Amino acid sequence: MRIAILANTLPGALPIYEELQRADAHDLVVIICPVSSRTGARDWAKHTARLLLKSRQFKSLALLSKGKVKILRHALDHPRSLERLAKLKLDVGLHKTGNIYRQATIERFRLGILNAHIGLLPGYRGRSVMEWSVLQGDPVGISVFFIDSGIDTGERIILSEQVDISHCASLIEAKQYLFSLDALFYRRALALLSSNELNWKRNDLSGRRYYVMSKLFNQTAEKILLLHHPLPSGEGRGEGLSYSGRIDPHPNPLPKGEGTSGIDN
Amino acid sequence: MSAREDAIRDALKRRLSDVRNRLAGLTPEAFGDAADYLKRLQQSFSSENPSGNDSAPVPARNGGNDCVAALCAISLTSAPIDSTIQSADAEQFLESLKQCRNDSEKRFRLLAERFSWPPTFSLSSEAEIREHVLMRTMVHDRARIEERSIAGVDADDLLLKLNLVAVHSLETDDLRFLDALNYYYELLPTDWVPRARHVSLVVSFLGLYARALHVRILRNQTIAHCDTREHSARSAADI
Repeated sequence: MRIAILANTLPGALPIYEELQRADAHDLVVIICPVSSRTGARDWAKHTARLLLKSRQFKSLALLSKGKVKILRHALDHPRSLERLAKLKLDVGLHKTGNIYRQATIERFRLGILNAHIGLLPGYRGRSVMEWSVLQGDPVGISVFFIDSGIDTGERIILSEQVDISHCASLIEAKQYLFSLDALFYRRALALLSSNELNWKRNDLSGRRYYVMSKLFNQTAEKILLLHHPLPSGEGRGEGLSYSGRIDPHPNPLPKGEGTSGIDN
Repeated sequence: MSAREDAIRDALKRRLSDVRNRLAGLTPEAFGDAADYLKRLQQSFSSENPSGNDSAPVPARNGGNDCVAALCAISLTSAPIDSTIQSADAEQFLESLKQCRNDSEKRFRLLAERFSWPPTFSLSSEAEIREHVLMRTMVHDRARIEERSIAGVDADDLLLKLNLVAVHSLETDDLRFLDALNYYYELLPTDWVPRARHVSLVVSFLGLYARALHVRILRNQTIAHCDTREHSARSAADI
């Protein structure tokens, strides 16, 4: 399959590129696009600074020299960008941007654009879903699904799996941990897509759309998370959350503050 | 009670105390026509009566209710409120609401007319309208305020929506609605007296928010009580 990693920065796309390259089953390309139609010049300055300052600069430069990076000067839904995407004849896009995609953009990919969302669909759509799951005593996890133009409303869910975050000492750490799993989840989702074992799970919108959480509930969710954090011996723990299937940390977790995550929060 | 419910209840108790203090600290004179109403609300949440004035008469509902006046009246009582009036076609109304997304005055008028008796906002027939109101409040209005300032939104429109969300929070277990109030309580300036046609809405927002917090705390305590009884019964059976 011909896969495009859609990202706002090159270092941000690299972990996914490297993870998928290990599978050696796909033709990969990175598409760098501006955050919005108004941020072109600012984005370029950021790209250059990142390329020069980040530890992955040599890998980024190597990727550029191989011609594996396509840079869009206009927003993804701009006619020129759409034309360029069509010419690339892509099968699947992997969301790693801060953008919201319009239908015209989605249609430029034969199968669609995948999103790794840090919530278990169909129950948890929208923002702060990890925090909401913790607050409400529900399992936390990641769902990989084909997006549509709504907010986490895409019907076709490829993979939806619980992830244990009880080893994390804060909500920020837990979120960063889930973000770091995006490359792994994308690789597994693509493997399922390429196999005959895929059983679509339908996003029937039976869950709720969540919104950014208040400081009050955020602090409460953190407190609840810490009830399950492994404490030094002799100290008690709170009620158990039903997290299961802990996934090993990604071998190349995203550096802190590395662009936007492909995992929607 | 589970440690999780306990943590939520503690947070809500702290917040309720904070809201009551904020209400008590408001200067009635700054609120013009709403000064008397604010004084009554302050009295209702005074330290002698922390949960609100149960003896306040239950507001009457009738065909000619004024939404803003009804919100003020509801904020002054903790007695159960009737919400059985059926409203006209919700789907058509939602469409009208979506069409006036750039006309805040019209949106205010539409909402105030439909929910002239605000508890009807909690009817099951209004579910999609509630979702729409919550979404507009937590996405569009929030973004405008955070990117620009509170002056970037129509205060009447925003506050009416928050009041309706608060009325629904009195009825529902869905914490998203209560958290929208939490969020705006943290976002809005503490001494904000809006330049609005209905300045009383900022006061009723605080009053209804306090009631919603109180109701949720009581509900958590009821869960705890049931848990304890169930636990005792189970223990006895085990023996």
